[in-house]
Amino acid sequence: MNSNRREFLAQTGLLALAALPTARSAGASAAVASSPPAGLPADWRTLRKHDAHNHVFSAVNRPNADWSEVDAMVEAAAVLGIEKVCCSHPITAGVLADIAAVRDANDSVLAAMKRYPDRILGYCFVQPGNGPQALDEIERCLDAGMIGVKLYNQFKYTDPVIYPIAEKCIQRQILFLGHSAYITDERTLALQPKTSNALDFCVLAQRYPELKLILGHVNGGGDWEWAIKGLRECTNVYLDTSGSLIDDGTIELCVRELGHRRILFATDQTMEGCVGKILSAEITTEQREDIFWRNLQRLMTRRSA
Amino acid sequence: MIIDVNASLGHYPFRQLRYNTPEKLVGLMDRNGIDRAVVTSLHALFYRDAHRGNEELQEAVRAHGSRFIPIATINPKYVGWERDLAQAVEGWRTKAVALAPAYHGYTLGDEAGRAVLARISEYGLPVLLNQRFEDRRGRHAWDRAEDLTLTALLDAAKAHPKLKFLLVNWIGLDGAKLAAAGLRGRCLIDFARLQVVYRKDVSKLVHSLGVEALAFGSHLPFEYAGSSLVKLANLESWSAADREKLAWRNAAAFLGL
Repeated sequence: MNSNRREFLAQTGLLALAALPTARSAGASAAVASSPPAGLPADWRTLRKHDAHNHVFSAVNRPNADWSEVDAMVEAAAVLGIEKVCCSHPITAGVLADIAAVRDANDSVLAAMKRYPDRILGYCFVQPGNGPQALDEIERCLDAGMIGVKLYNQFKYTDPVIYPIAEKCIQRQILFLGHSAYITDERTLALQPKTSNALDFCVLAQRYPELKLILGHVNGGGDWEWAIKGLRECTNVYLDTSGSLIDDGTIELCVRELGHRRILFATDQTMEGCVGKILSAEITTEQREDIFWRNLQRLMTRRSA
Repeated sequence: MIIDVNASLGHYPFRQLRYNTPEKLVGLMDRNGIDRAVVTSLHALFYRDAHRGNEELQEAVRAHGSRFIPIATINPKYVGWERDLAQAVEGWRTKAVALAPAYHGYTLGDEAGRAVLARISEYGLPVLLNQRFEDRRGRHAWDRAEDLTLTALLDAAKAHPKLKFLLVNWIGLDGAKLAAAGLRGRCLIDFARLQVVYRKDVSKLVHSLGVEALAFGSHLPFEYAGSSLVKLANLESWSAADREKLAWRNAAAFLGL
């Protein structure tokens, strides 16, 4: 255990928990330690959870890498009872990078998968603008054990340049997680004009009904009510619950408008908040379990038509 | 025991809130083990005369005894604000004074802002500053407000060295800068947008400002209570005394409850 990890554990007092081998056992220990606040189920830590949208942003594939951020994320997952964390390393800020930079980003996720093989799953970040090299990169990532593809906002998902990526995902029967937002703030929009919204996802889903398409972070900062209503007619698009917003009513609206089978628990680095909103949502126990993990598992094992 | 320092009542013009009446909010607090809540009036943000919202709030919470701690919102750009403030302090015994410069058309550093902060300081009360009510990226076309900034906060802290600050819904707070601005011992920060595990925002602020600077806040009814309850649960390794401080004792001491 490195010093950063020890320091973190000492500060949060989670040393004993993190020493345990799995999230589920960590959760069980914590639940015994004290009663949870009244608004949380007694077994909230041990409820099974798979995080469908998270990140490894540190360059942990480099020599002498600083692992503190990844270690902290994994330790938080253990504390919160998140068994699996699906991570990507997108290149952001509107940059269209060359394929070497894309490979380097994916290598950081692969390094994290190697360090935490029982906890971290990988999405392969690609930019359709890299052409055939992007398809080769997907193959490289899948060969190394990744489970899907992550696209950011370099291109709208209605752009035909996306089609080869979608077709590759169908061919390999893997997930397609897309960055999304319905942004109304002009300054934000100017920074990411090609961010896809729910209707863009619908267009792609209608062209490729067998695609395992996930609208990323419904609570990622745009108008989530718009996003949910926009997906109503597109029954083959899934949605993940991540984002920094913990807005009351989000989960219930998702269930009401889309049905709970299309909703995937995720955090996108807002880990406590995103666990909390699923726990607080006024839904049935079965719906909560489906959202927390079962829907993602079903989607990953579903065979394409 | 939990005292929530970050809650609101009333309608919000840009989004439906499910638990925005005193009766509904008390029910939600009961289900989540929240004993008391500091509440401000959302109407006071949007009425031309904010004080009408304060009057409504006083009336609305009366039937619920000590469950609510109503905080008056003062608009220093509106005629007669000094008398409104005096009524809130001397008549209603408000425990703090909320300001909403982004909604009322001034800044903490302009003439109106300086005047109202000075007056609140003279009364010896904390000023409540909410960094934002909602994320701006999906804003309604009529929502023109901007988030309060750390720079504005630090400038206000330096300009009013005896004023206490109740800070809710803040992120991006630099504990060292807050301490350098003299805020150690005179600020209380809620953890509604902070993280206990992973980013470790709470432990970082405790390191700079002391455990007395942190408090439970949920941002009800805008947000789910579960987020803050999970954070509270994740503090289980703290001493019982420190956990109690964050859950309610710091709020009680800071607000003189």
